[in-house]
Amino acid sequence: MIDPAVSAGLRDAIARARRPALIAGLAGMIACAAGYFLAPAAFFPSYLFACMFCLGLALGCQAVLMLNHVTGGAWGIPIRRSLEAGTRTLPVVAALFLPLLPGLRSLYEWARPEDVAHDAILRHKQLYLNTGFFLARTVICFAAWMAFAFFLNRWSREQDERPTRGLSRRLQLLSSAGLVVYGLTITFFSIDWVMSLEPHWYSTMYGVLFIAGQALSGFAFVIALTVVLARYPPLSGFINRKHFHDLGKLMLAFVMFWAYVSFSQYLIIWAGNLPEEIPWYLRRLQGGWGWFGMALILFHFVLPFLLLLPATANRNPRILSSVALLVVFMRFVDVFWLVRPAATPGHFTLRWMDVAAPVGILGIWLFVFLGQLLRRPILPVNDPEFAAALEHGADGAH
Amino acid sequence: MSTQKREPTPPGQATPVPVIEPGHTFASVTDQIGQIVLSRRTPTFWWVGFGISFLLMMALLASIGYLLLKGTGIWGINIPVGWGFAIINFVWWIGIGHAGTLISAILLLLRQEWRTSINRFAEAMTLFAVASAGLFPILHMGRPWLAYWLLPYPNTMALWPQWRSPLVWDVFAVSTYATVSALFWYIGLIPDLATLRDRARKKSFQIVYGMLALGWRGSAVHWHRYETAYLLLAGLATPLVISVHTVVSFDFTIAITPGWHSTIFPPYFVAGAIYAGFAMVLTLSIPLRKLYRLEGFITLRHLQNMAKILLATGLIVGYGYMIEAFMGWYSGVPSEGYVTTSRMLGPYRPAYWALIFCNILTPQALWFKKVRSTPGLLFIVAMVVNVGMWLERFVIVVTSLHRDFLPSSWGMYHGTMWDWSTFIGTIGLFLSLLFLFIRFLPMISIFEMRTLVPEAEVREEA
Repeated sequence: MIDPAVSAGLRDAIARARRPALIAGLAGMIACAAGYFLAPAAFFPSYLFACMFCLGLALGCQAVLMLNHVTGGAWGIPIRRSLEAGTRTLPVVAALFLPLLPGLRSLYEWARPEDVAHDAILRHKQLYLNTGFFLARTVICFAAWMAFAFFLNRWSREQDERPTRGLSRRLQLLSSAGLVVYGLTITFFSIDWVMSLEPHWYSTMYGVLFIAGQALSGFAFVIALTVVLARYPPLSGFINRKHFHDLGKLMLAFVMFWAYVSFSQYLIIWAGNLPEEIPWYLRRLQGGWGWFGMALILFHFVLPFLLLLPATANRNPRILSSVALLVVFMRFVDVFWLVRPAATPGHFTLRWMDVAAPVGILGIWLFVFLGQLLRRPILPVNDPEFAAALEHGADGAH
Repeated sequence: MSTQKREPTPPGQATPVPVIEPGHTFASVTDQIGQIVLSRRTPTFWWVGFGISFLLMMALLASIGYLLLKGTGIWGINIPVGWGFAIINFVWWIGIGHAGTLISAILLLLRQEWRTSINRFAEAMTLFAVASAGLFPILHMGRPWLAYWLLPYPNTMALWPQWRSPLVWDVFAVSTYATVSALFWYIGLIPDLATLRDRARKKSFQIVYGMLALGWRGSAVHWHRYETAYLLLAGLATPLVISVHTVVSFDFTIAITPGWHSTIFPPYFVAGAIYAGFAMVLTLSIPLRKLYRLEGFITLRHLQNMAKILLATGLIVGYGYMIEAFMGWYSGVPSEGYVTTSRMLGPYRPAYWALIFCNILTPQALWFKKVRSTPGLLFIVAMVVNVGMWLERFVIVVTSLHRDFLPSSWGMYHGTMWDWSTFIGTIGLFLSLLFLFIRFLPMISIFEMRTLVPEAEVREEA
């Protein structure tokens, strides 16, 4: 029988990783604070993109967790606790968004009445894009996500304490409602915080791009983490190549889905070539930004696709974790490419805030995440699927 | 074996409903599925069903004959609505086909063993639906005998397809899809054809099934090759099923017509196709399992799972409607906003609101386990969705075209009698092929069902 608790070796390793994360986080935040006062126009866009990436990690974990609860499947057992730890960081992510609130005027054209007055389309959108309603929507979104995270974690803990049959069913129902709510909230959240940076542009695919991207961020991050956790008990006595194979195949599916929706949006807008739509891509393909687009094709799709296609690579944890880390990094690049060109359209410049903000935010986030990971047993032994997951590694079936 | 019990599923019971009724053995599986094909007597309901379908198919024949005589002027299409029933029906049928490939290929790759008893006839459904779909664009050409001009081949007319047109992509997407689906279906049939060959009493049956079985002897090498080929084809069919409806969605989105040029279309069309397809699988499997007493093979578990997929894809389709309506307003582009309000409040509003009722409101009943596990109710929901998905294509095609940018080029569109007779005729074609299929081929995969029987579990007994 496996003791699911965090082993002493793992506890030390996590504690060792937490300290540099905290130091980097604090240093980055101090730099951010300097930027906030000295160069607010540069601070806000960089800080926003770092926040959006960080939100993607936390919400991606939650989306994948709920997907696993809804569809069932033994693939979720080894990563369940990491996903749950990701969802428990949501209050911190919400707090990290707070410094953006004074910057709404600086970030968004629609928040400046003098600009809105001269623009017929912005006047039309004022019913939706106004500061009060914007803030209300943000609060509603975070409240909904945290409410689902709360119950997902609470019922999971109840299951740890004593196995109850009805709990899995309850988690399944909660998660199906949660996925519907997530789909709607993230759509409007991404329209609000990112799409409206360029308030004349619109695309119906936009929310789906964020759903695909966030799920991939959270999932790839957790896969890379799981390869590290697998070196220590209790996961080392549980996980094997077949579990990795399942995770790798699913990551391949997510990568393909992201590429599919990204390419579809591009093709449709390119073919239409309408003045309302195409500028968004022109701003992202000119003056150095085009390299990012090229990098996204090659390293967000082609390379992971080719690496994850053969079964041998999926079963090799080293290759799998390298691909997962590459995907996490490319998610970071993608969010940068979605958010930052709005501030310097058509010409790429790297500002020091583009480095400081992500270091600060991700350092803090990682520190909190690892702390949360230590708080619960690493394996959900009372889950009805646990036996199947354990057996999945043992039997000869493929 | 013939004493079929309804399986017990008290609500709230935790143990899942089995994918095959307890008590079946290798022999009973082979007997029960095989005898549907090999028994001499054809049931009365088959004759009735086939007769009606055949009559409808004759209506199709008459409609096509008259069309060839007179031209597409017998249809309701005109400027501004140049795309009418033909494209609506094409998209509707192609979408229905998608569930077959999804069940047989994607669920195979996901190791969902419950797919086993429904994949065979779902694949057959795919083929017949694609056949019905393929008729429409060809008939719509006006001179269908020149359909081969769509293919890029060297010719003295200096004629070459326009590669930037998604309609050309359609030719390749649909024909590849049809080919791979047919291969996949036929390869899956081979071991069963051999079973039928060995069990048939009549000489003629032995010869026909024998030829179709391609000399299958069931040796270990055969099985090894078979498994590899089947898995490869499943891997090929999976991207194809996504690509076909994506390309169909490009037929609309690549144009800049308001209401068509929408970036959400590709995934939303694919989800809609799966939605329509599962509705059709349910529509067909619920009466079939009852009439042929196959409740032991197509259990409530299958119906429940399909109902869940129906609900999930229905929600994605609902998301599509929602985001389209929102962006119609949010864009601030007058023509986009106008199409949105015109759909909801314009002359075609009954179709729009009927569509919302059929595709969005009705499937919400599937949240309740009672509905998911009552075949009669499920059948009603599936029928409503079938209608809803046809209406969806009607609304997309017609409402975007009927009011052009200039009010001087506004016009109304209605299907004529010939539009309807062609459409209903293809339903006849589809059902006729399906009736022939269930009479002459095993509608459930015999050898795959045998792997679900407890005898096939060797590990415990060893």
